[in-house]
Order: sequence, then structure tokens, then C-alpha cells
Amino acid sequence: MNLSDAVRELGLICLTPELDATDVTVTGGYVSDLLSDVLGNAPHGGVLVTVQVHLNVVAVAVHAEQAAVIFAMNRVPEESVVRRAVEERILLYTARQPAFEVVGRLYALGLRGPAA
Amino acid sequence: MKSFFADLHIHTALSPCGGEEMTPPAIVQAATDRGLGLIAICDHNSAGNVAAVQLAAARIRRSRREIDLTVIAGLEVTTREEVHVVALMPGAEAAAAVSAVVQATLPEADEAARERFGEQRLLDAAGVQIGREPRLLAAASTLDLGDVVSLVHAHGGMAIAAHVNRPSFSVLSQLGLFPREAGFDAVEVFIPCGSPEADKGSLLGRFAALGLPLICSSDAHYPGDIGRCRTVFELQAPTFEELTSAIRGEGGRSIRCA
Repeated sequence: MNLSDAVRELGLICLTPELDATDVTVTGGYVSDLLSDVLGNAPHGGVLVTVQVHLNVVAVAVHAEQAAVIFAMNRVPEESVVRRAVEERILLYTARQPAFEVVGRLYALGLRGPAA
Repeated sequence: MKSFFADLHIHTALSPCGGEEMTPPAIVQAATDRGLGLIAICDHNSAGNVAAVQLAAARIRRSRREIDLTVIAGLEVTTREEVHVVALMPGAEAAAAVSAVVQATLPEADEAARERFGEQRLLDAAGVQIGREPRLLAAASTLDLGDVVSLVHAHGGMAIAAHVNRPSFSVLSQLGLFPREAGFDAVEVFIPCGSPEADKGSLLGRFAALGLPLICSSDAHYPGDIGRCRTVFELQAPTFEELTSAIRGEGGRSIRCA
């Protein structure tokens, strides 16, 4: 799925305009606020939906090879977190919707998580 | 130097999940029975029973002169990331000051909440209930990890990453990787009772790689838990200042997991 479809559909606010997001494809998705869980289970090349805004979200996204992170419920991380994400080339977005709604819309767009 | 057995993470009946029987006299009795010389009282987001346990220890020291038990003031703060931070403080007043800042961010505990999460008993030194904490201690504060560590340091305390090897509310379970920039003074490891020496060694070895002092504490919620996991402190005297020096390994003072 092209990430720009999700950005348009959900009205996502881009926090990392320094990074080129055109033609970025995401191949899966994961939702969790426990970063230990994300590390172990998020599919590579996917998009992470979370309300966790700690700096470690970027380190974990890099480690788990995530293409983008969507912060649900209007959560915005601190400036230092955004700077790190730009350095590490991780796209960050904020959604005004709760995580349930974000994931439901992404699913409707055809995105799938890891199989059970 | 003198050796002291320490258990620096003990809850009282004030913690919603703490046993009703965790009264100041019961804690002091269990600690002395198990040969502990240093304990820290660390209830969730509150230092409301610290002074009562300190007074209970002073009373038992007066009546039985062979007993030498020191009670360090502390609390276990829940950050907005739902990470537990053990704060060891220079005294009950400093612990109360940290607790006041944290509690200002917690919701009220109404009767329904107390029924679901547990009573939050404020006790006197004899163990008689004198009130209850009005804020919901089981909730997470809105302060982030960095804020909490700074707050503890600003009041002269030490910030310890609680039970790092536990699957819930630990810095590793919540944040995946150990945040070196957080400024922790030490790392608390929980070693289950009766673990084989080899398991204990590999667990401690794993966390020694973090490059921070390791402390073993029980996280006791019931009297039977007290001292099940302990640290040996080599100190000149059982005071907070000596304890912080030992954690930093200053002047020949030291700590090791027992």
C-alpha cells in the first residue's frame, strides 16, 4: 500500500516534512504501546500505530525496520524525538483518531498485519 | 566497614495491590526476623506510610537493643510510559515532596475505584488505619521518565529502574531497549527465591552489561516476600548518604546481590 493513501484517508499530520514520503510503500502494520512487543512482533517494512511517544519509539522502529510510525489520539512526541526520527529516516505522523479507528481504516485500505 | 543485608523495595498496605497485613509493625518484625539491616518503603506513587514504618523501627530498636534496622524513605513512581521507577530518598519529607508532585497528576480514587484496585490505607506506627490516600495510586502519572528521574534527583534521591527483568511495568517491557540517556543511578533485578547459582549469575551478567550498579530487591507485597531477594551493602553506618556512596562504589563501600 502506498503510504500517501493512508495519509489522505486518515488526514494524518506529517511530523517529519524533511523526509521524502512520496512513493513510500508499506507492506504491513502493527499496533502496540509496549515497545518490547513491537521489537519482537512488528513485521518489517510496516507501519506502527501507537500512543507511546518516548524517544525509544524511534530506536525500536529502526530496529524493527518500520517504514513509518503513526501516533494515535493527537499524541505528538517531543522535538528531540522528531529530530532523531529525521536522522534515522523514520516517517512520523499524528492521527487525530484513536488507535482503533486508525487501524480499522488502514485495514479497510487493504493493509494487513502478521498472520496469527 | 560493616555488612548490611538490604531489601530496598517493600510495599505497605497503602499500595492498592499490597497485602492488608503489610502494617509497619509486621514489616519491621519480618525484616528483623530475616536478618535485614536496611529496608526501603516504596509504595506506588505515595510515601504516606514511610514515617510510620520509620517510627515502628525506632520503637523496636528501643525495646530490643540487639536489633539494628534502618528504614530508608522511598516510593515507586509510575511514569506516563507506565515504567516503574524506585525512588530512594534522603528522608520522609523529600519522599513526600516527590509524591506530592506525582499525585497532582493522578485521578481521584472514588469508592468504586478503591473496590476494584484495592484500599489505600494510611497507617500509624502501631498499624492502626488513620486514613486513606485520596488519589488513585494504581494509575500512571503524566510525568515522563525523564521528568521523574529529574524530580527524584532534584530532591536529593536516587532513581532506580524497577524490576528490569519483569514482564510488566519495567523499563524493558515498556520501552524495548534500556534508555541510557534517562539518567538512572542503578538497576533493580528480581531474582526468584531458590534460583540455581548458574541462573542467578547469567541473569546478573546480562544486566551488568548496562554498566550501572545492580540491586536485588524483593518488591514485597506480602510479609512472606520480605527479604526473599536482597543486596549486601558494605558501609560504615546505615545511613542514606552511606547507601548512595556504596551504590556509586565510593571510598571502599560496595554492594553485591546476595
